[in-house]
Amino acid sequence: MRSQPPEDTKLLILPTHLVDRLKAIATRQGVSLSSFAAESLEQALRANEMDASLSDAVDAYRLSEIQRGAGMVDVPRSSLNHLVKRLYAKKGEELRRVWGEAGRWYGEYLRAKLQPGEALGFLEKELLVAWNLDEAEIRESDTEVAVRWVSFTMTGEFTELLLSYLSAVMEALGFREVGRDSLRGMATLKYTRIGVK
Amino acid sequence: MLAADEELANKVAELASRRGLTVRQTVNDILEQALRVEEAGISLKEVVEERWMLEKAQEIGFTFVPEHLLYQVVDAAYGQGGKQLSENWRGVGRWYGKYFSAKTDKPLDAFKEAMGLLTFGASGFSLEKQKDDRLTVACVSERFTEGFTEVFSLFIEGVLEVLGYEVSDREVSKGIIKLKLSKRR
Repeated sequence: MRSQPPEDTKLLILPTHLVDRLKAIATRQGVSLSSFAAESLEQALRANEMDASLSDAVDAYRLSEIQRGAGMVDVPRSSLNHLVKRLYAKKGEELRRVWGEAGRWYGEYLRAKLQPGEALGFLEKELLVAWNLDEAEIRESDTEVAVRWVSFTMTGEFTELLLSYLSAVMEALGFREVGRDSLRGMATLKYTRIGVK
Repeated sequence: MLAADEELANKVAELASRRGLTVRQTVNDILEQALRVEEAGISLKEVVEERWMLEKAQEIGFTFVPEHLLYQVVDAAYGQGGKQLSENWRGVGRWYGKYFSAKTDKPLDAFKEAMGLLTFGASGFSLEKQKDDRLTVACVSERFTEGFTEVFSLFIEGVLEVLGYEVSDREVSKGIIKLKLSKRR
């Protein structure tokens, strides 16, 4: 005799091939198929509340993993701006240099961590999420890469530092800067592949 | 067939309708993606949690910076005039204190959560409520420089000052912040 489900439950139909994989994972985790599926549905709904899909969430997770691995920390933007402003007048050149060094290191790190062809897409997401920019776009054609970003709150000093950082990241990824147009909180940059004329 | 809690099933049905898909397609898509994540050895809960943390960090005006660069810049600025820098970090702390107070009726919990983001991977942070409205705060990291430890401790004090606490005992040295605070009468 088949037992009836409790009154406050609904039955969802699943294809057999999915059920087999779900069973395998649930068994590995020591939970029932129903609890594994319910937890997955709960998490998908939670992601949806943030206007994200599970695949967006996976991208964000990957971004955080890589950033953490590269020794990044989160700080209040206002404190960082204040620090940079204080130092920039006397030590602007040195700051651009150390930001550039950090960018070069990070570019090499991305090359080592990501599959070829993944880095530019990753960098675009990173600019938006981690650098908290309002807009960021990286477009790649056969001959060049165009980068455009906008921040409505970024200071002039910080804009210059981000430019140094980004160009160094790009260089480490194999792109040379060939064009730059920038204002406070805004930049359009062009790059070509190193070795391509 | 999968038996799901009615409330959960209804929410999934709403999601499906918003996406213009059938419930069956939506459930299959979600579980397919969940399986891909879990089969890659990652916990789906952790993944969604990380997404939430990133969103929170953006929302409260945080930005990522290479840790060593931050310490380098703080130390250089500290060497040029520690007092003004200290005031700035305390001021930013006060700003966040007001922000948390305006945003939630549990500002202390919101601050604790935010510190989880701030100290991202680098340090251990704890904030414990004691009896008689007392608080103990500890933050320890071997990587903090002397200058950074000092300004960071002032940031914490600034937040807690606005939340109605005053420092009764303070121990701050390179890489170690230990504060005891009591509710201001």
